[in-house]
Amino acid sequence: MKKKLVLLLALVLSIGTILAACSSKDSSTSDKGGKDGQPYEIKWYTIGTPQKDTDKVFAEVNKYLKEKINATVKMQQIDWGDWAQKSQVMINAGEPFDIIFTNGTDYVQNAQKGAFVAIDDLLNKEGKDLKNAVNPALLEGNRINGKIYGVPTNKEAARQTVYTFNKRLVDKYKFDLTKVKTLEDLEPMLKTIKENESGITPMATFKAYLPYDYTFNNEMPFAFPIEGDRDHVVNQFDTDLAMSTFKTMHSYYKAGYLKEDAATSKDSWPMDVENWFVRMGDSQPYADLLWSRSAKYDVVSVPAEEPTTFNDSVSGSIQAISATSKNPKKAMEFLNLLNTDSYLRNLVDKGIEGVHYKKNDDGTIEDLPARIDKYNIPTYSIGNFFVLDLYKDDPKDKWDKFKEFNEAAKPAPTLGFHFDSDPVRSEIASITNISKEFYPALATGSVDPEKYLPKYNKKLKEAGLDKVLNEIQKQFDDWKGKQK
Amino acid sequence: MKKIVSDIYKNRIWLLMVLPGTIWLLLFSYLPMFGQVLAFKKFRIDPDGFFASVMHSEWVGWENFKYLFSTNDALVITRNTILYNLVFIVLGLVAAVATAILLSELVNKRLSKVYQTGMLFPHFISWVIGSYFVFTFLSSDRGLLNNVLGWFHIDAVSWYSEPQYWPYIIIFMSIWKGVGYGSIVYLASIVGIDRTYYEAAMIDGASKWKQIKHVTLPMLKPLMIILTIMNIGRIFNSDFGLFYQVPRDSGALYPVTNVIDTFVYRGLMTLGDIGMSTAAGLYQSAVGFILVMITNYIVRKVDNESALF
Amino acid sequence: MPNDLNQTQVSVVASQPLDQLKRGGAKIKRKKTRDYHELHPVVNTIFSVLLGIFTIMCVFPFIYVIIISLTSEESIVRNGFQIIPAEWSTDAYRYLWNVKDQLLGSYGVTILITVVGTVISVLMISFYAYAISRPQFKYRRFFTFLAFFTMLFSGGLVPTYIVVTQFLGLKNTIWALILPLVMNAFYIIIMRTFFMKSVSESILESARIDGASEWRIFFQIVFPLSLPGIATIALFSTLGYWNDWFTALLYIDDPKLVPLQALLMKIEANLEFMKQNVDVGLMQQSLFDTLPQDSAKMAMVVIATLPIAVSYPFFQKYFISGLTIGGVKE
Repeated sequence: MKKKLVLLLALVLSIGTILAACSSKDSSTSDKGGKDGQPYEIKWYTIGTPQKDTDKVFAEVNKYLKEKINATVKMQQIDWGDWAQKSQVMINAGEPFDIIFTNGTDYVQNAQKGAFVAIDDLLNKEGKDLKNAVNPALLEGNRINGKIYGVPTNKEAARQTVYTFNKRLVDKYKFDLTKVKTLEDLEPMLKTIKENESGITPMATFKAYLPYDYTFNNEMPFAFPIEGDRDHVVNQFDTDLAMSTFKTMHSYYKAGYLKEDAATSKDSWPMDVENWFVRMGDSQPYADLLWSRSAKYDVVSVPAEEPTTFNDSVSGSIQAISATSKNPKKAMEFLNLLNTDSYLRNLVDKGIEGVHYKKNDDGTIEDLPARIDKYNIPTYSIGNFFVLDLYKDDPKDKWDKFKEFNEAAKPAPTLGFHFDSDPVRSEIASITNISKEFYPALATGSVDPEKYLPKYNKKLKEAGLDKVLNEIQKQFDDWKGKQK
Repeated sequence: MKKIVSDIYKNRIWLLMVLPGTIWLLLFSYLPMFGQVLAFKKFRIDPDGFFASVMHSEWVGWENFKYLFSTNDALVITRNTILYNLVFIVLGLVAAVATAILLSELVNKRLSKVYQTGMLFPHFISWVIGSYFVFTFLSSDRGLLNNVLGWFHIDAVSWYSEPQYWPYIIIFMSIWKGVGYGSIVYLASIVGIDRTYYEAAMIDGASKWKQIKHVTLPMLKPLMIILTIMNIGRIFNSDFGLFYQVPRDSGALYPVTNVIDTFVYRGLMTLGDIGMSTAAGLYQSAVGFILVMITNYIVRKVDNESALF
Repeated sequence: MPNDLNQTQVSVVASQPLDQLKRGGAKIKRKKTRDYHELHPVVNTIFSVLLGIFTIMCVFPFIYVIIISLTSEESIVRNGFQIIPAEWSTDAYRYLWNVKDQLLGSYGVTILITVVGTVISVLMISFYAYAISRPQFKYRRFFTFLAFFTMLFSGGLVPTYIVVTQFLGLKNTIWALILPLVMNAFYIIIMRTFFMKSVSESILESARIDGASEWRIFFQIVFPLSLPGIATIALFSTLGYWNDWFTALLYIDDPKLVPLQALLMKIEANLEFMKQNVDVGLMQQSLFDTLPQDSAKMAMVVIATLPIAVSYPFFQKYFISGLTIGGVKE
C-alpha cells in the first residue's frame, strides 16, 4: 500500500515538473505579434450570445483598425448563462487574451487577485482621449488600492431605486402617487387593489428596500447608512429600521398582498404580463418610457431614494486588460478608439450601415431585421453610450438626461472603497450561508421579524460578525485617511 | 533490477492493454492533481500562466480549510451529508437490486423491457426541470398536493418552509432518479449468470425465493460490494442539484437540505476563492479515501476476493 | 480467483457434484423452454403492477414536460406550470423550427461524439479492465488502484482546463468533447468485476494451450462472453456523452461545435441570467426577446431526450442475448 502511494506520488511529481518546464518554455516563445510591423491581433472576450454576423462586422472593424492603430480585433462572445463560470476558469487558468468584460464583485476580486493590468499609466498616454470622455466618477469609483484596473462603460453612473406602478390601475382608482415616499405609504393602495382586482397580485415579489450602501450586497449584513452617520459600518439587520420595514412587509404578506411563495419564488414578473400593481426596480432616465414600451401598457415610477453613485452602479460594465496580454498598449489604443470614435463604436454595436441598420435623414437610426437576427449585440457591455447614434423613437435629449442624472447623483458613503475580504474569508463563507437562509424570508415578509430577526442576528454573531465589522471599519478608515 | 525487467517482459501483453488507459489517466486525472496544492495556497494570478500562479502563490497552511469547520453549521452540514448518503447507499442498493431481480423475473418480457426503458427517463431530466416538476406538486398556492389535501378538508401545507417533510422528499427523489440507471448494471449481471445454476437449483427443489437467495444474490455479491465501496468513497459528496434546485434554495429548509456541496457553493459565491473550493474538494476526497481504505481492509479480511484491491 | 463464485453455488447444490448437475440442467433446458424460470402468476401480477406504478412515476414527468412545451408562454407566466394548461400553444416548436440549423448541427455533433466516444471508450475501458481482472497480471493491483484513485481525487476544474486547452491544445475542437470523457474509473471497476465473474480462466486456458494469442483470445472469446457487461458500459458511456454539456461549456466557443445538451443547458442558464439581471433587458429589450422561453426549453428537452431514451431497447438486445450465451458457455 505504502509502496504504491510512493510510486504514485513520484509519478505525479515527475510529470508535474515536465509539464511546468513545457509551459514556461511555451510562454516565452509565444511573445510575438505586434512587432515587425504586423498588425497585432487583440483577443477580446465579452458577454452575450455569439452572433452569426460577428465575423462580417469585424472584417469591417479590422479594416478600420489596421489603418488607425495597426491592430485587428478578435471578439469572442460567451453566452449569458455561461459567462460567470467560463470567464472565471479562463482568468484563473491564466489563458492568454487581451481584453475581457467584467463587472461588480468579479471585477474587484479579479483585480485584487492580480488578473488585470493597472491602467493608470496607459490612461495617461494611449487612453488620453478616453480618460477625458469618461465621467470621472466612474473612474474614481473603480479604483482599487489607488489603481484603476479597467475601463468603465460611460453610461449612467448612479442608481435610483424606484417603486413602479401599473398606471392603468393608478388612474382607475385615482391614487395620489406624490404622497408615496416609503413602503408604509403603499398600504391603502394595496388594500384597494387586493379587494377590487382579483387577477392582480398587489405586489410583484420584491425584497424590501433599506437605505444602505452595501459592502457586499443587500443580503449580507454589512452596510453603511446613506443618511446620518456615513462613516461607520453597521449590521443592517440589527437596526430599528430593518425591524420596522420587515414588520411592514410581514403585515403585507399576511394580508395577501404578496405571493405566498415570495421567499423562494424565482418569478421574474415580466413586464408584458399585466398581473401586478407595484414593483421595485432600478431606474435611469426615461426608464418609464422603456418599461412602458416593453410592457405595451403604461407604467409610472416614484423614487424610493435619491439618485446615488454606488460602487455597484459604477462597475456595471468594465473592459479590463488581462495580465496575460502580450500588448496592453495596443489593447488600450483600441479601447480608447472604441470609446471615443463614433464610427467604430456604432459599427461594433449596431453592425454595418445598410445591412444591420439604416440611417434616417435626421441622423437617427433604425434596426433592420438583420440586426436582431444576426448581430444583436448588448450595448451596455461594449463601451461609451454618449457617442452612439440615437434610435428614431429615442427622446432627442436622452444622453443629456443621462448626463444630468449622473451629475445630480450623490456619491454613496463607500464609493471607491473596495473591501479586501482575505483576512475574514472563513467568516464571510459562513455568513453568506446564514444570510441566504434568513434574508429572503425576512425581506419578502414571509416570516415574523419579531421572531426571526433576533435568531438571525444571534447566528450572525456566532459566525464572527463582529470580526468582519471590525475589519471592514479598519480598512474603511485606512482608505478614508488616504483620500484626503 | 533484472527481476523487474523480466517481470515487465513477462507481463508485456497486459501492460500493453493498460497502456492507452494509463496514458489517459496520467494526462487527464493525475496531471491536473498538481492543482490540489492550491488548497494550501492563497491564489494569486501570475501573468506567466497558471503554473507560475500556483508556484508564486503564498502558502497559507490550513487556512483555506478553516471555514469548513468554523461554525455550528459545520456540524449540521456534515451530519446531513453523511446521513443522506448512508440512506442513499443502503436504499439505493436495495432498490436497484430488487428492481433488477424483479425485472429479470417478470413473465412478460415485453412489459419488462417497457419498464426498463421507462425507469431510465428520470436519468435524462436535469434537476432544474425536476425541480419544476416537484414544484407543481408542492407549490403552496397552486400545488397538486395542497389541492388534494383541500378535498379532504386538511389545511394546506406550505411545503417549502416545513423542514420536517424534506428528508423523505429528498430520499424519494434520489431513488426516483437513480433506480433505473442503477438497476441496469445489476440486470446485466443477472443476465450474465449461467442458467445452469438455476436449473440445478430447480432440480434440487428450490423455490423461486430460494433461487434468488442462493443463486442470484450470491452471484451479484461481488458487484454489490464493489459498488458500495465506491459509494462510500463519495460519502462526503452530494448531488448538488438535488439539494439546491429541488428545495428551491429555500432558507427555511437549510437545516435539512444544507450539505457540504451547497454550503461551499453558497459560501464562496461572494468570495470566488479557488483555494477554498479546492480545499473543500480535497477534504471530501480525503475523507472518502480513508473510509474506502478502511472498508476495503475489512472486506479483504472477511472475503479476500471481493475486495477492490 | 474464479473459484469464489463456485463456492457460493455449492451451498445450493451441496448434495450432488456440480458438473453433473449442470449437465442435467442443460438437458432439461433443451426439452422444456424456460418455464422453470417463471414466477407464480399471482406474484407476477403483483410485481408487474408495482413496477408499473413506479414506471409511470418515472415517465410522468416526461409527459409533463411535453405538456409544458405545448403550453402558451402567457399561460406559464400567469399560472405557472400546470398539468392541464389553461392555454395550449405550439409556439415552442415553432421557435425550434426557426433555429433548426443550429439544432441540426447540434444533433450532428452530439451523434458524432456519442458514437466515436463510445467506441473508443469501450475499447480502452475493456482493455484496461480485462488486464486488471487477470490473475496472471502481476501489477493488477497497482493498476486497479491507479484507476480507482482518480475516482476520489480529481485535479479540479482549472488544472484540467489547462491540460486540455494549453497542453493538448484541444479548445474548440471536437476532441475536447470526446477525450475528457473516454475513461472513467467507475466503469473500469464495474467492467473488471464483469470480467472476473463471467470469463473464467479455465475457458481461456484451453485457448492458450491451442496457441491463441492474448489479443485473439480477447476479441474472439472474452468479448462475446462479456457482451452484457460491455453493453452496460457502452450504454453508460453513450448516456454520458449524450448528456454531457459541461465539457462543451468549458472548451467550446464556436456555436457550430455545441452539442445538443449543451445547447439546452445554455438556454436554461440564459433564462436564469435573464431573471437575475432584469435591468440588462431594460436597456435593450431585443436581447432577451430572442432568447427562448420556458416552453421552448421544455420542447428542447423533448427533442434532446426522446432519441436517446428510445434507443435503450437497442442495448437491451445485448442484455437479452446474454441469456443465450449463458446457455452455450460450457
